[in-house]
Amino acid sequence: MPILEVQHLTHIFPDGTVAIEDINLKIEPREFVVIAGSNGSGKTVFIRHLNGLLSPTKGKVFIDDEPIVKNIVNARKKIGMIFQDSDSQIVGQTVKEDVAFGPENLNLPPEDVDRLVQKSLQSVGLEEYATQDPHVLSGGQKRKLAVAGVLAMKPKIIVFDEPFTGLDYPGIVQVLKQILLLHEKGHTIIVVTHELEKVLAHANRLIIIHKGKLVENGLPSDVIGNSERYGVKMPLRANEGVETLTWLK
Amino acid sequence: MAQMMFFHYVHKNAILHNMDGRIKVFCMVLMSLATSLAVNVLDFTILTCVVFMALLVSKLPMISLVKDMKFFMFLIIFVFIMNSLSIKGEPIPNFPIKSVSIEGVTAGLLFAWRLILIIMICSIVTGTTSLLVFKKVIEWYLRPIPFISETRVSTMINLTFLLIPVILDQYTEMSNAQTARCVESRKNPIKRVMFIAVPLLSNTLRKTDELIYAMESRCYSEERTRALFKVNPLDWIVLTTSILAVTLVIIL
Repeated sequence: MPILEVQHLTHIFPDGTVAIEDINLKIEPREFVVIAGSNGSGKTVFIRHLNGLLSPTKGKVFIDDEPIVKNIVNARKKIGMIFQDSDSQIVGQTVKEDVAFGPENLNLPPEDVDRLVQKSLQSVGLEEYATQDPHVLSGGQKRKLAVAGVLAMKPKIIVFDEPFTGLDYPGIVQVLKQILLLHEKGHTIIVVTHELEKVLAHANRLIIIHKGKLVENGLPSDVIGNSERYGVKMPLRANEGVETLTWLK
Repeated sequence: MAQMMFFHYVHKNAILHNMDGRIKVFCMVLMSLATSLAVNVLDFTILTCVVFMALLVSKLPMISLVKDMKFFMFLIIFVFIMNSLSIKGEPIPNFPIKSVSIEGVTAGLLFAWRLILIIMICSIVTGTTSLLVFKKVIEWYLRPIPFISETRVSTMINLTFLLIPVILDQYTEMSNAQTARCVESRKNPIKRVMFIAVPLLSNTLRKTDELIYAMESRCYSEERTRALFKVNPLDWIVLTTSILAVTLVIIL
């Protein structure tokens, strides 16, 4: 049974712009999926439907065979979302407070909140920064903080929207390692990016969205050859095999 | 002003830092009330002693605080001069300005003293209380008030504090970018303000939009986990001292 299913998903903005059109997709548990596409292709609009941040004009999203509209809070617990701009998703004045935001929203007892915060910070290696101002963290650490905030809600699926944007080399490696660790721990991972060279070596599937339509969906090695047709740069040395592209030593 | 010690939280392991936030804020209100009610030198001396004690136990950098007082000097001197000139009374012998009276100078000095005490009380409380604790205290005090969502108010306060540095950073960046494109050569000040204000507003709205999405995706709700407070025996001592100070000021 797929953990996530999207049926005929279409979103048309009030001015008539078709952002995404008739997208059908199934994602199995523990998959590592990369969604690529050029700027303005509809990637972000698409993923914002997965946890009900946007309502579709047409179509449905199912998590564990249940339509997300039936229980939106449950859907948001199951799908953790890491946004592109880490700064704009920080809601706490300390690292600890920011991570506690999600569990507190679920009205969990304070001792459970503390336990979850502690565990999440440990998972991403930020426990020593617990009392610090999140804005003084480095770019990579801010992404890790966003991951910790999401982990505190125990999601099954974690969606990363352009996780490498604006990061230097150590920051990219830091985030990539974190994503792989989460995948190893059993989370289903969806990474939205157009920087394929950074992550494709670790993915099970590559999906390309172009002009709001899902145009490619398959094994990375099968799809990569067509990526430039849709405005996504094919990584150098991709012909030698996608598994050789890794940024990790 | 950014380097000021005043009104900035300084993380320490001191009695005032570890106090129950509700009692600390209540003590601040009591002390401010006492300062407003103080009328003579004895009242001010008692309050100064209490504030000085609080400053000592707070472990806040005292020298920096005293140095930073220069930022308020203009206000303090202004208040002193206005009081000295406006209050009628016996003129000071041999003083060239006849409208300056002994009563006026005394009132001016007491008023300046009051101002310094209030600034110090606020600095001690803000220096020993993190914004997180303030937020929880506001939530706690608003809870019994009907028709006001304490969670919404505290979230709004929290987000305001979060967005201010972001907006200021954006302002600096935009201002630098416009300076690099010779915005100074524009003589019309309204146009120059508009060049900054319009994109700044639009950027702020975009950031706010992103923040709302991020909060929504983490199940934002007003039915949130409530803060836990713990009263320590030392908190009662601080509260008793504050009540005693108010009582003495009223009686004497």
